[in-house]
Amino acid sequence: MTKRLPSSVSNIKIVLATLLASGLILLALQMHAFASDRETTQCGHATLQAMIDAAQPGDALLVPAGVYAGPIQIDKPLTLEGQLWPVIQGDGQGHVVVITAPNVTLRGFVVRGSGASLDREDSAIRVSAPNSVIENNRIEDALFGVYLERAADSVVRGNTIYGMDLPISRRGDGLKIFYSPRTLVEGNVMRNTRDAILWYSPDSPVRGNDFADGRYGLHLMQSDRHVIEENILRNNSVGVYVMYGSGFELRRNLIINNRGPSGYGVGLKEANDVLLEGNRILSNRVGVYSDGSPLRPGSTVTYRNNLFAYNEIGLEMLPNTERNRFRDNIFLDNGQQVTVAGGGDLLRNEWAMEGRGNYWSDYAGFDADGDAIGDLPYAAKSLYDTLTGVHPELRLFQLSPAVDALDLAAKAFPLFAPQPRLSDPAPLMQPPALPPTPGLEPAPTTANLLVALTMVAAALFIVWTGRRGLRGRRNANVGKTHRATARS
Amino acid sequence: MIECIDLTKRYGKFIAVDHLTLQVAERSALALWGANGAGKTTVIKCLLGLLRFEGAIRVDGLDVRRQGRAVRQRIGYVPQELAFYKEMTAVEMAAFYARLKGAPSERIDPVLEQVGLSEHLAKPVGALSGGMKQRLALGLALLSDPPVLVMDEPTSNLDAAARSQLLQLLAQVKTAGKTILFTSHRIEEVEALADAVAVMERGRLQFTCDSASLARRVGLRTQVKFIVPGHEVERALEVLQGEGLAARRNGIGVIVDVSHGEKARPIHTLSRARIEVIDFEVE
Amino acid sequence: MNITVIWTLAQKELRDALRNRWFLLYTAAFVGLSLALSYMSLAGAGIAGFAGFGRTAASLINLVLLIIPLMALTVGAQSLAHEQEQGTLAYLLAQPVTRVEVFAGKYLGLAMSLLASVGLGFGIAGVVLAISDGAGSPAAYVGLMGRTYLLSLAMLSVGVLVSAMSKRAGVAIGGGLFLWLAFVFLGDLGLMGTALTMRLSVGQLLWLSLLNPLQVFKMAAILDINATLDLLGPAGIYAMQEYGQRLRIIFLALMAAWIVLPALAAYARFQRRGDF
Repeated sequence: MTKRLPSSVSNIKIVLATLLASGLILLALQMHAFASDRETTQCGHATLQAMIDAAQPGDALLVPAGVYAGPIQIDKPLTLEGQLWPVIQGDGQGHVVVITAPNVTLRGFVVRGSGASLDREDSAIRVSAPNSVIENNRIEDALFGVYLERAADSVVRGNTIYGMDLPISRRGDGLKIFYSPRTLVEGNVMRNTRDAILWYSPDSPVRGNDFADGRYGLHLMQSDRHVIEENILRNNSVGVYVMYGSGFELRRNLIINNRGPSGYGVGLKEANDVLLEGNRILSNRVGVYSDGSPLRPGSTVTYRNNLFAYNEIGLEMLPNTERNRFRDNIFLDNGQQVTVAGGGDLLRNEWAMEGRGNYWSDYAGFDADGDAIGDLPYAAKSLYDTLTGVHPELRLFQLSPAVDALDLAAKAFPLFAPQPRLSDPAPLMQPPALPPTPGLEPAPTTANLLVALTMVAAALFIVWTGRRGLRGRRNANVGKTHRATARS
Repeated sequence: MIECIDLTKRYGKFIAVDHLTLQVAERSALALWGANGAGKTTVIKCLLGLLRFEGAIRVDGLDVRRQGRAVRQRIGYVPQELAFYKEMTAVEMAAFYARLKGAPSERIDPVLEQVGLSEHLAKPVGALSGGMKQRLALGLALLSDPPVLVMDEPTSNLDAAARSQLLQLLAQVKTAGKTILFTSHRIEEVEALADAVAVMERGRLQFTCDSASLARRVGLRTQVKFIVPGHEVERALEVLQGEGLAARRNGIGVIVDVSHGEKARPIHTLSRARIEVIDFEVE
Repeated sequence: MNITVIWTLAQKELRDALRNRWFLLYTAAFVGLSLALSYMSLAGAGIAGFAGFGRTAASLINLVLLIIPLMALTVGAQSLAHEQEQGTLAYLLAQPVTRVEVFAGKYLGLAMSLLASVGLGFGIAGVVLAISDGAGSPAAYVGLMGRTYLLSLAMLSVGVLVSAMSKRAGVAIGGGLFLWLAFVFLGDLGLMGTALTMRLSVGQLLWLSLLNPLQVFKMAAILDINATLDLLGPAGIYAMQEYGQRLRIIFLALMAAWIVLPALAAYARFQRRGDF
């Protein structure tokens, strides 16, 4: 029940009536299912395929719990609704469910056991017709999960997709949307697969999904005009990778712990007209990696109100990147806040808009006039950051105190101080408020507290052992003797 | 009980102890006599296994090199000046060394009482007087009631009162039947404690003798200073020199150079000559 | 080997450490700074709605690299030389104890005092982190503490070796401080310079840096927390590709070597010495 209940008494009556009505409809559907079930049994159709073959186009089949052998072919418009999670079990070869007709709805099934051939792209659910709805299914042990090819205007919603337990190079895509424009990808959960990829599928919103433990959490290829909202992209090599396209809005996503060898929270490769707003980009190897974006003259990439925190590198851009605009972002405790891959500077971007720049946790300036904007520009000019831009192998010394010494020395002897790589003319003194994002959960506090207290207790025990030292049982005697001495 | 056979210790080209052979019989006390640098302390350090050396040292038949722990188990060691952990109290020190020696903790109280420290148990060692420290050192050495006591100049850093107090204690210990080896360059220490003396010079053993004849053997001399009435000084010099004593004037007094055993002779000489002795001092 | 003797000496050493001004100062600095770090992460959590244990851990690693070697090297360098200068070592060795017992007892006592110091620092900071929801997985935190402790033991061994080779406490502590400078700053800076001028390959750079136990600690800790060494750029990625999970064994072996070999060398030196 996601809808809010009306509060007044008269509304309650309406609700009751609606419930009653829907109950009757459900009952009717039930009857229908029973009828067809009985019918299939009578006709000797023991299999799901037989039920489908026997159905009329446009029928809604209610499939009861049970295990049904795949593969299944759906070649006419049908609604298949699973009751209490019926299982469609593939034989470990090829696809499990193949949909070749438009207007098919598949809802409430467990689909598992596809083949494992990357060449054939063996899938749990393979759709090659428009207007499909793949909803609330649970997909397990599948090479590819849901694969839409030339299936425009489809909906993939609320599915849970678990990939095969394979090394990442042999896994398939949990979700592949290929040449299927205007497809809605919403509320899906995906684990242990390769990518969720949308390829040549413009105008497809991606909203409220949770993609984790894969290679590319979300990969947009040669595809335009996407709204990517309130997704969680966690523990992938790359959170969101946008390649070749224009018109992307990334809003309020949680992009966390994406750390492959070339891991990025968000990667922008020659993407035009991109807006990132209200995203939390946390603990990635590189928060945002920007390579040639924007490419097209006149287009921009705009960063507003995002949080870049605890990434090894907050923002990494190729040198001479232009027309990136920033305001009200928070750069908090990234190992390196902003770096330039290969050296150079980022001075041809707008690090503040309308007189507002960004919050930098390492800003050392002040605000004498009290307008909440720092009076000195924020300038990134760490010698070590500059060095690693040109000689990335020196990143080996990350976290070494020698690095701090190097930067300190560069500050003390301005001769060695590098040119600033960027300059924010209006740094914010206080971090701006952020919109909420999904998926932030607290750490295991109690266990941690116990562990920490145990450490303290152990340390104090050792101290006590030392303090007790050599007194031991003699202590009492000594005390007595000493008191006697004092009295006499 | 203690045997040194051909003990030699070299520091590079310098030979600190040169082919030394000596024995200490059970329940006897041997003093190692010699000037500073004669090699006495080196012998003790070899005996305790603190230095590497040539030759052999045996204690109670045990080899120092191979059975160092067993040897040290039989030795109570009193250093010249005990290097203390200053912040420890006397009783903590005693407890610490008792555990190292494997001595029962019940021994601590009687031993500390024996050395007269019962009233200072809870004082930090740094706050004890020199005499108390040295008595504590003796107490620590006696904790495990070892048969052998080895001491390095035990009274050299003490004032007269503390020295006699410690010597008294040591005499008791000796009577209790310990074998004692100690180094010294103080004749009264040797006379009070030693049965025999081994005289060392530049690392070599010169000779051994009994403690009574040491002073004579080494030709030890003492200066005695007399104050006599001013008009008698000339006569006193005459009388003393007439007796064959080496006397000379010194300010208002007279200084006589005598060998160690005849300090009283000039007084007798002067009194026989009816010369009044106002005061005298032995140096 | 007499356990009572070793334990007695260890207790004595521990007690001394707890009265040693330098040791207390370093411990206080370590506890204070790690506490400050956790408060900073608390402040960060207020902004982010999430405290990145990774970043807190990274700052902790940085802090550990600075302070723990200083503490362990100083304590180790003081150990034998200081007692020798005081004359207490000669008196101790004149007792019915063997040198291996004296050495083991001292080492054990110092190791225990370091454990107390490290445990206190991590424990107190951990309480703050736990309350602020920022401590990440308890296992990772305990792992980081364990690695820190191993590093402190390695530095202790090196310090004790310096101590066993010096006759005067001042010289020993000076040597310890120089080594600290070398391990923490000079080594890394020198290697950076070498890498730039000699054009070292990433493999050479990696292995040269692994000669430094501080780098071993750092990489092992990062590997524990991030599960990869990507943070360390091309050399880290090379290490992961070339050695993968074997890195854990390599790091452990290197650290064990840094703990055991200097300690053995120090013991050999101490055992052979005849100048007390």
